[in-house]
Amino acid sequence: MRASRPNPALAILAALLVAALALVAVELGKGAAHEPGPKLAHPCGQRETHAGSGLDATIQRVVLDGLDGAACRLHTTREEFVLSLGGAAGRPRRWSRHTIEVALRAGLLRATDEAARRGDLPGFAIPFLRRLIETAPLDRLIQGGIGLSDLLR
Amino acid sequence: MSRSSALALLVASAVAIAFADSSVVVLALPQLYVDLHTSIEGVAWVVTAYNAAVAVVALGLVLFVHRLNATRVLVAGLLLFTAASIACSLAGSLGFLISARIVQGVGAALLLAGALPVLASLSGSAARGAAVWTLAGTFGVALGPALGGVLTQAFDWRAIFAAQAPIAALGLLAATRARAQAFVEEGWRPSLARTLPANLCLGLVFGALVGALFLAVLLVITGWSYSPIAGAAIVSVLPAATLLVRPLAARLPRLTAIYGGAGLLTGGLVGLAMLPSASVWLAMCALALCGFGLGLAVPVLSGLALDLGAGLSRSGTLSIGVRHLGLVLAIALIAPLLASELPAAGDRALLRATAVVLDSPVGLSKKVPVALDLRGAFAKARQGEVPDLSRPFDAHGARHDEQLAATRDSLLSAVENTITRAFRPAFFLSAALAALAALVAFVFRRRILA
Repeated sequence: MRASRPNPALAILAALLVAALALVAVELGKGAAHEPGPKLAHPCGQRETHAGSGLDATIQRVVLDGLDGAACRLHTTREEFVLSLGGAAGRPRRWSRHTIEVALRAGLLRATDEAARRGDLPGFAIPFLRRLIETAPLDRLIQGGIGLSDLLR
Repeated sequence: MSRSSALALLVASAVAIAFADSSVVVLALPQLYVDLHTSIEGVAWVVTAYNAAVAVVALGLVLFVHRLNATRVLVAGLLLFTAASIACSLAGSLGFLISARIVQGVGAALLLAGALPVLASLSGSAARGAAVWTLAGTFGVALGPALGGVLTQAFDWRAIFAAQAPIAALGLLAATRARAQAFVEEGWRPSLARTLPANLCLGLVFGALVGALFLAVLLVITGWSYSPIAGAAIVSVLPAATLLVRPLAARLPRLTAIYGGAGLLTGGLVGLAMLPSASVWLAMCALALCGFGLGLAVPVLSGLALDLGAGLSRSGTLSIGVRHLGLVLAIALIAPLLASELPAAGDRALLRATAVVLDSPVGLSKKVPVALDLRGAFAKARQGEVPDLSRPFDAHGARHDEQLAATRDSLLSAVENTITRAFRPAFFLSAALAALAALVAFVFRRRILA
């Protein structure tokens, strides 16, 4: 009894179908089943602090911590909160201007105190910074009337 | 080359162009969008109008095409197609372009219906004519987007239509010199029922091709910001694979070729759906699988859908109508799905882009101006434009600042990956259509081969 010869065309087709499965396996291995990064961190939890030294890095740490604090108060993400400032990119604002302003001032004040506790800011600068945060025209920033750059000048 | 072969080649070229027209403008859609100051829905009609016109006219023609002189049908179709192609290339408004595309679709339906008997006559047998017609159609469909991309980049979107006119005119010249024989036009079976399973499979496969031909192109051009010619190079993998797999199709049992082809098309579309990032190589692998699937399934299904017993003209015209109906119905299903996913993906992309900028180790003096410029770019995106997100970084010195360049790359990657995922449900739907084609072939396997 002679064994029937395998059809090479069938073997090629089978190889192509295996290649299709392999492609999907590779994609799964590269994270196809997971949400792409970066992940939006929880603003109320601990976050890796902004690296670097000098005045620029310190200001960034305070501002980023302040944004986290404000977002935490409003039960949202820091990114969503930032986009609410000035009605960024035509997005509708989720909270009133007053709510955002209160949350932002509170967050920044808390971040300033935290920075002082860490020793990031010299003690003599704290009252000045607190006064700046309490009186800065944040309402105009939220309205989009001025940009962040104007506030930092 | 004999006179008949030369004439058949010219007619087959016109057939390939008419099939290619289903998808030829896809790579030009972003340029059309800007030039004609229209909406995404408006520009989509440039594709849909043509396919809908072919489907409606072809399905209507099935009733009486066998009573018409095939050469006259072909000549009328080529005349309309040539005139409409010239009109499309001169269009100054979206309304005019869509109207011209409808006329072009009417011409294409007549051209494709009339070409079958004429090709059968020129090549000496109905089977050979059907094979030439099927081959021209398969490569026309597969080559469409790549051809359109090259012409759009090299010249303008108008060049796509201007280039079709001389090919159709040469087909017209050939058609006026051809004489279709009666024997290929008449069948002895009154019913086309036995071709329905094969036609249903073809309709589903063409519906699935919306994923490979339309969605993949849109993803590469608008989501990953490749130029039309680079997009054409990427999607040209599909026709290359279709060409490569041809010898294999002839060596497989017909049902195996259909199952295998539909399976590979399903696999390729699942591969496109599961893209983890904006990876050109993975996309090309998936498109190659789609091309293999197309090359295996479509020629076999076309051969089975063309029933000589029921008349070449009638069965061919039904097949043309069902293929284009499959395309139109798939677009009608997939377009709203994509339209509902993209805005939400845009919002997610904006949040992730914001996270990238906030967390970047760039100094405030650069971070703040870049963030403000990005805000403007995203606002443009919400109005439907494709934003250039690298420009704000480059304008603020990313070429010389490694940290800023790294932030730009992270942001682009985050946005592209998020947009890529937004195409996932639409690709899965396309894959489901291909899998359904395999299932239909399995359920009606005896009738398909009868």
